[in-house]
Amino acid sequence: MLGTTDTIAALATPVGTAAIAVVRASGPAVATLCRAIFGKLPEVRTVTRADYRDAAGTLVDDVVFTYFVAPNSYTGEDTVEISCHGNPYIAQRILEDLLARGCRPADPGEFTKRAFLNGRMDLSQAEAVMDLIRARSERALAAANQQLRGSLGRHMQGLTDRLVEVLAQIEAYIDFPEEDLPAENRQGALRALEELLQATRRLIATAHYGAVLRDGIRTVIVGEPNAGKSSLLNRLVGHERALVSAEPGTTRDYLEECVVVGAHFLRLVDTAGLNPLATALEERGIKKTLEQAAQADLFLWVIDSTGPLPTLPSALEKIMSPANTIAIYNKVDLDQAGAGRRQERFRAVAVSALTGDGIDKLRLAIQNLTEILRTEVGEELIALNARHAHALEAALERLTDARELLRLSNSIELISNHLRCALESFGEIAGRVDNERVLDQLFARFCIGK
Amino acid sequence: MSCNPAIGGQAKGQMVREIDALGGEMAVNTDVTAIQFRLLNESRGPAVQAPRAQCDKKAYQLRLKHKLELQDNLQIFQATVTGLIYKHDRVVGCRTNLDVEFLGRTVIITTGTFLRALMHVGQNKNKGGRMGDFSAKTLSGSLIEAGIELCRLKTGTPPRLLGRSICFSGLQEQKGDREPTLFAFHDTRDQGDLFHVEQPGETLLGWRPGVAQTSCWMTYTTAESEQIVRSNLHLSAMYSGEISGIGPRYCPSIEDKFVRFADKPRHLLFLEPEGRNTNEYYVNGLSTSLPFDVQVQLVHSIPGLEQAIILRPAYAVEYDFAQPTQLFPSLESRKMEGLFFAGQINGTSGYEEAAAQGLVAGVNAVLKVRGESPMVIGRHEGYIGVLLDDLTSKGTIEPYRMFTSRAEHRLLLNHGSAEGRLMGHSRAMKLLPESRLNRIEQKFSAVKKWSDFLEDTSGGNGSLGDAVRRGEAPARLPAEFQNETKEVREETLYRVKYRGYLLREQRQIERFNDLERIRIPDGINYLAVSSLRKESAQKLQALRPATLAAASRISGVNPSDITILMILIETGHRTPSGPWSSPGSASVV
Repeated sequence: MLGTTDTIAALATPVGTAAIAVVRASGPAVATLCRAIFGKLPEVRTVTRADYRDAAGTLVDDVVFTYFVAPNSYTGEDTVEISCHGNPYIAQRILEDLLARGCRPADPGEFTKRAFLNGRMDLSQAEAVMDLIRARSERALAAANQQLRGSLGRHMQGLTDRLVEVLAQIEAYIDFPEEDLPAENRQGALRALEELLQATRRLIATAHYGAVLRDGIRTVIVGEPNAGKSSLLNRLVGHERALVSAEPGTTRDYLEECVVVGAHFLRLVDTAGLNPLATALEERGIKKTLEQAAQADLFLWVIDSTGPLPTLPSALEKIMSPANTIAIYNKVDLDQAGAGRRQERFRAVAVSALTGDGIDKLRLAIQNLTEILRTEVGEELIALNARHAHALEAALERLTDARELLRLSNSIELISNHLRCALESFGEIAGRVDNERVLDQLFARFCIGK
Repeated sequence: MSCNPAIGGQAKGQMVREIDALGGEMAVNTDVTAIQFRLLNESRGPAVQAPRAQCDKKAYQLRLKHKLELQDNLQIFQATVTGLIYKHDRVVGCRTNLDVEFLGRTVIITTGTFLRALMHVGQNKNKGGRMGDFSAKTLSGSLIEAGIELCRLKTGTPPRLLGRSICFSGLQEQKGDREPTLFAFHDTRDQGDLFHVEQPGETLLGWRPGVAQTSCWMTYTTAESEQIVRSNLHLSAMYSGEISGIGPRYCPSIEDKFVRFADKPRHLLFLEPEGRNTNEYYVNGLSTSLPFDVQVQLVHSIPGLEQAIILRPAYAVEYDFAQPTQLFPSLESRKMEGLFFAGQINGTSGYEEAAAQGLVAGVNAVLKVRGESPMVIGRHEGYIGVLLDDLTSKGTIEPYRMFTSRAEHRLLLNHGSAEGRLMGHSRAMKLLPESRLNRIEQKFSAVKKWSDFLEDTSGGNGSLGDAVRRGEAPARLPAEFQNETKEVREETLYRVKYRGYLLREQRQIERFNDLERIRIPDGINYLAVSSLRKESAQKLQALRPATLAAASRISGVNPSDITILMILIETGHRTPSGPWSSPGSASVV
């Protein structure tokens, strides 16, 4: 009965860390998407392994995906299910990439709804489907409300109010040309719009910064070659990700992994060893390490407890502090453990990346530190999800168009058109704004009465 | 015409053209009885331009009455209706004050401001819906008996002055446009269907539209006016608590203007002639319910009106209306079958809003008699669609007036495209003669041909279309194009100028169309649908939207509720013996 025109995408597995996460897309554009992402249209209903590269060509993850063709899929439409490594950051990156490629974020229960509407479920399931949708959307609603009651809600309220104000001023000149309105205040409108743009940008930016919650705390593992940085990473992640060897300097580039510790998750970055006698190749790796370090929220300094206490490069020394660094004495399983000298500056934990000894203590230490980190970042953290960010970006685009028109022309009908679209995008986050509100504002501000 | 004899203006002007596109008479009647034409927002983009006209009050009325008298298959009778006649749950006719019964399968009620109407001038109250006319006293009871809930609204009108007592010399004149923008689409009409009302007096004959236009004049209130109003506020019917009805925010009384906008030193007033054969002037902007003696002082405090003689005082009027959410989108009552409502009884204000509803109610009453499904105009098809959807799905708390800002797709609803937008309805309902329908079709295929041509033809730097959008085209357009009618040229340039925006709006509509097309069966009992949230179920039960799109516009109804409704409806489609086979079935799930 319904020709679906758009392609929807969403995480199909719960947010959090499991072995794998599944991102699903359904709709007419799925075949085109598969070709664009994986470079080929795979066999139907066959699990295929591939590199997932985002629209910019950057490798996101090594994934397996399954392609279903209408009507033989869950939704009855062309569908693709992409299974990636089970960390929220990767799944989120893939979802964001799908949205960037033109998918729409699915509404709660929308896959099931499509399945029903396409006749993939029988009548007796209708009630179950409805209850499911209700339950899911209520959970989503509860989650959204929680955010909206918080700082995101306050910000959105502020943005919406300001936009309605600007819009009402412009609409007044369209709808009441015969009224004795004050002279058009183009500079005032431009100023208001500029503020609105900045506030929207700030919100998007806070989202990126506050995305510590979502994208993880950038944690850089540093230390001398063969101190066991990659082994530690593997131990924390729980599977073999980094290539480890007894040969010092195996990690020449850097590696990234995500791991949940307490309430947060860390984006662990394994780096090339800081070898004081580095080869040219290693030099390059070390340079990268320092670049990574510059963006870090947290440092894990791995020290080989069987050797002497190494010295840190001064560039690192400067940015590492007791508030963001944990010293890890590795290889406590070896006989010579404890032979090296201890440092006093940072909180320290003794572990064996090989056997797993002390890893729980390390987790606890990280957790304590991230709690401090969180309060330092401040309570204004806003965890925008892909939907919110999508809507804000759309609003930003239309607000920019409106400002350009306001600068260059006096086409208020077009300016108003852009502003209304921006308002609609805001509405996708904080609830739809009734036309009536613009009129309320207009009548409150201007004496209309011919 | 109870108030200012002006037709059109923003959104209303577009609506008059839509009425014309649906075979209504308002546009032609305005064109041939107008004494001043102005295209509003002329300096702005064509998307927000709107025609407005000042009519000759009596000529407008007489010509329309004459037109009705000559209408085939229409019988006219004038009397005060005292009550409706019901049989079971249907209306079967009405009864007049002389106890004459008129029977019919449908009845349309258009009570204007006359239902239990009460006029206020200061503390003085008179029964009546317009100075010099009666009040319909008993009809309200008859509606209540049918289970229809009534509420009160208020509106007002300014004083009328004697023109020769006004000193115009110091006032700013506002002339009509040299080239009038007419309301009716004369380019698609058979020639010769205009006729004039010939009247005795100052002007002997009728007039061609746009000739011998008259002027309006502008003046302002003074500090003295404000002083007079402020010191007499306690005597105003509105400020002494005499009036319970809610008035319109866009048409405040002068009391309201001084109180609510205290920082504004003066308020603009227009002196508008009421006709060619009268010396009466309407003081636009000076609506009030102050006592008569205060009105005299107030008028005399205004430049140009120092010596003015009041012919009729300003007054406020209170009247009954029925919340329009009690109607189907066809304007038929949900409570009483066969009973239709149009105009101010639905909480609207304005001649244009009333005319649009009258037309739709008329068409739908006929369709009802024939047993056919009603004509429902979409929000994206015209302001009439916005009007009907707003009224029947949201209701109103103040007299409802159309504004362009109420429409989601303002750019698609330009006045020049009304015939094209509504062609589907006018053809399906046979609202226009075949010859006109054909001309409309030709006109819009010419528009399409030329818009394609301009986009596809190089004009130096990009296409000719790009040149139009940069505002540098006119001289470069081909001679054949210049030979097209003004209507074709203007509509073509409009589509080219706004191309990107129109495409985007069109796409939005298509996305929403799925919901717009899905009708919700009448009999549904929302309260029995366990999956719906209680708050949504109650709102849906009260407002009873006709389509999923209308349901989605109700505040507080969220997307998951719409999904649940969609599934319910789909369930009904799949099983012939499903919940919808018997309308009115109480339990659904």
